Amino acid sequence: MVSPSSGLRPPSPRKRGEGQQGALVRCPSPRLRGEGGAKRRVRGRGYTLLEVVVSMAVFGMFLVILAMLTVEMRAQEKRLPVNFLRHPQVIVVVSKLRRDVQDAFGPAPYPESYGEYTQSPQTLIVQSHVKETGGVQTIVWDFRTPGEVKRRAYNVGVPTDWTSRGLPPDFSSFKIDAVGIPGRPYGVHITARDGKGRLAIDQILQPRAHE
Amino acid sequence: MRREKGFSLIEVLAALLILTLIITMSLAAFVERNKRLRQASEIILAYQALANEAEYRRRIDFAQLETSKPQFISDTKVLAPLEPFTTVVTVQKTKPAVKNVTMTVRWNGGTREAALSLMRVDTGGTNLW
Repeated sequence: MVSPSSGLRPPSPRKRGEGQQGALVRCPSPRLRGEGGAKRRVRGRGYTLLEVVVSMAVFGMFLVILAMLTVEMRAQEKRLPVNFLRHPQVIVVVSKLRRDVQDAFGPAPYPESYGEYTQSPQTLIVQSHVKETGGVQTIVWDFRTPGEVKRRAYNVGVPTDWTSRGLPPDFSSFKIDAVGIPGRPYGVHITARDGKGRLAIDQILQPRAHE
Repeated sequence: MRREKGFSLIEVLAALLILTLIITMSLAAFVERNKRLRQASEIILAYQALANEAEYRRRIDFAQLETSKPQFISDTKVLAPLEPFTTVVTVQKTKPAVKNVTMTVRWNGGTREAALSLMRVDTGGTNLW
């Protein structure tokens, strides 16, 4: 018999063997029945309604908390134009560009054109100081390809390429402007927006004095 | 007689409790990680504004640093995701010809802040650089 305290349901009448009492049934297979046709006790299955309701309530509360946390987290993330740590290339590009502009050299550090390149909002040409040799190199920053930034440095006419790929796909192209702070040499103002038009990069880069 | 099979309510609840504890701890770690990633992105935005402001503060005449605007002169559009935010600039004379210009951005009700200090030296020249 099933004890009331155990909380288990008694077997349904369907599971009871014909002519059997309570939970005792005759095993259908002689092999399972064993020698002498021993009888097997079938366990009562399932949970009471109360148990199911309590368990589901506990789990439901947990799910609600999980959903609330996720919604809150997404809302906070959406405020930002780009997750910079997930896309470190963005910062790397700006850092390298900053160094080139800070090293800008000579009376005309931004030539109008160089080779096939022309100064534009998507192309920056800068003459940069090479600390190691004391010479000057011409660097072209090419932002024309979405999701990719190319830096081509011409040192004694020989180009060296550095390309950053994998920029956020919704990142609209970088834009370069000249920025003039009164009394300062012209600097570079670099901006970049995300797919929703939010400003993600807004940097003023200024050449520095050289020895 | 063999033991009745199945779980009692206590067993199920205890199992649920353990499961909930494990999931909650994992979730807490996940939320904390996301929070820190977001904070790092916020700091990067703030430092862009700070670096831009530093370019402007470099140019102000050494003698006029104290009387210059105590908020950011530069454009702070990049800080839009941090709104509402405040910007403060303080100038402190550390030596006869040296001043520390400290720029600060505060957001999230003043609980988060990023600061950048710029040391200005009176070279007697144009202070172009």
